[in-house]
Amino acid sequence: MSADGVIEAQGLARRFGAVEAVRSLSTRIGPGGITALLGPNGSGKSTFLRLLIGLVRPDAGTARVDGAALVGDGLAIRRRVTYLGGELHAYGELTGAAHLDWCLRGREDAARARARVLAERFELPLAKKVRAYSHGMKRQLLLSAALAPDVRVRILDEPSEGLDPTRRAEVLALLRDEAARGVTLLVSSHHLGEVERASTRQLFLRRGELLDEGAARDLAARARAALRVTWERAPDPPALARALAGVGAVETRLAGATGTFFFPGDAQGERGRAALRALLDARELGAPRELSYGELSLSELYRELYGTEGV
Amino acid sequence: MNRPGTPWLFALAYLVILEVMLAAAVLFWPDLAANLPAARRLAAPIPVLGQFVDRVSETGVRGYLIGQHFFKGCNTLGTAAAVLFAAPAIAGEAHRGTLELLLARPYSRARLLLERWAGGALAVTVPVFLSTLTIPLLCTRVNEVQPYGPLLWCALHQSLFLLAIHALAFLCSVLGSHPTKIALAILFFTTFEFSIYMIKVVTHWSVFRLCDLDTLLAVADGGRLDVRLVLPLLAWIGLCVAAALFAFRRRCP
Repeated sequence: MSADGVIEAQGLARRFGAVEAVRSLSTRIGPGGITALLGPNGSGKSTFLRLLIGLVRPDAGTARVDGAALVGDGLAIRRRVTYLGGELHAYGELTGAAHLDWCLRGREDAARARARVLAERFELPLAKKVRAYSHGMKRQLLLSAALAPDVRVRILDEPSEGLDPTRRAEVLALLRDEAARGVTLLVSSHHLGEVERASTRQLFLRRGELLDEGAARDLAARARAALRVTWERAPDPPALARALAGVGAVETRLAGATGTFFFPGDAQGERGRAALRALLDARELGAPRELSYGELSLSELYRELYGTEGV
Repeated sequence: MNRPGTPWLFALAYLVILEVMLAAAVLFWPDLAANLPAARRLAAPIPVLGQFVDRVSETGVRGYLIGQHFFKGCNTLGTAAAVLFAAPAIAGEAHRGTLELLLARPYSRARLLLERWAGGALAVTVPVFLSTLTIPLLCTRVNEVQPYGPLLWCALHQSLFLLAIHALAFLCSVLGSHPTKIALAILFFTTFEFSIYMIKVVTHWSVFRLCDLDTLLAVADGGRLDVRLVLPLLAWIGLCVAAALFAFRRRCP
């Protein structure tokens, strides 16, 4: 199989003093699609992305990106990918146009023209010095540079951080266009809503470790096991317990007027159907307003994994 | 001036100041030449300065100009420029958070570093040569004649000395993240070294002995570089740049 557009990591590890930022991380991403890298602050997302392009040297492990091996300072990889850093700093003394040119030195000439088109689409004042740009404008300027070169892999660390909702939507549309062209995008984000909308695959990092694909499948299975019922008003917990008494032990989560019930295997199985019947028959709970099977939002998965609420 | 970190504007300012100091020194020569005995009496309490005036008395306008332009102008202003150009080269990027932008471009770290080093090295040395080239022309204003050759040998020796200081500051810049602290520390060191040059009992501990009037006059008279001084300077520059390259290859953004 061709390695074009594929990101592969084998046992990548990096320690900063006593902190193991990335622990023996192995994965294969692409070709194509938007892969979201998720995890709380300090989980190792940015370090992993930096390791992939040679900005940080690994203590152990290997990586290949778009067919190029991570050797030395990663030059071969950086020639084949574009990267947007998570920390937002720019050369304030340059104009926006000069900054784009500076970022795109070493790239094909057409990349500069494409970057300007993108920047104009973002309505950036390219003749102004970058020091006059807002936080979001700087992000868009750097994103324009990261999306301009004609490469098969883009690694973007929080590309929509600091943008207003309109611009976020525009950035997501751009990323989807890129993915539709066959480009492999590895995108880190804290914004679970947009990841849920845009990504084709999610990787979860916790304390420098990637949850294995089995865990990801478990998450999908967990989602399939969920029955969600929303009533007009918050149900009385004892009434809920009485209604489900005949079904056997059911893991229940109640958040306001919405109850999520988990069943072994599939929520549409025998026990799930019996539980739904019991809930519908329980007059004291009232009629449900909304029902759904097998759906868990990314923020709920995030909470399942980390015990914290996603954005 | 499209590449952040290249101090061309500062280099231009450095050249202008160097040239103004040189022009003032040249124009002052007739007055000094007429009053050298008085100058010797004034300098007598400071033995090192007294020797300096004695050497000017012996060598005339050549010794005076070499002392004024190289020992005074380039050793003070040039040293400051070398430190101020080198200290922010990498530490400045780290300090303002743009190091990741620099490193993420499709260039090898060796190339990125050597570009930075070369930019600073040229900014330090080119003004020395350019200002030196104007000395013969300025001398015609005071009816003196100075050949280019000896002066250019002195400029070369002076440049190597300044590059040695630049290399030290550059290495510190690669290792650190606070350009102001680096610059202040090295400027403190060089000021201390320049001040002990003036103290007779410790003058031999000063690095400025490597580029003082006697040394430069020997270079000018011999019409060639002194290998005993140049080789250690070149070795020091090479060592600092190699160490900087080694450290930069491992540096995280």
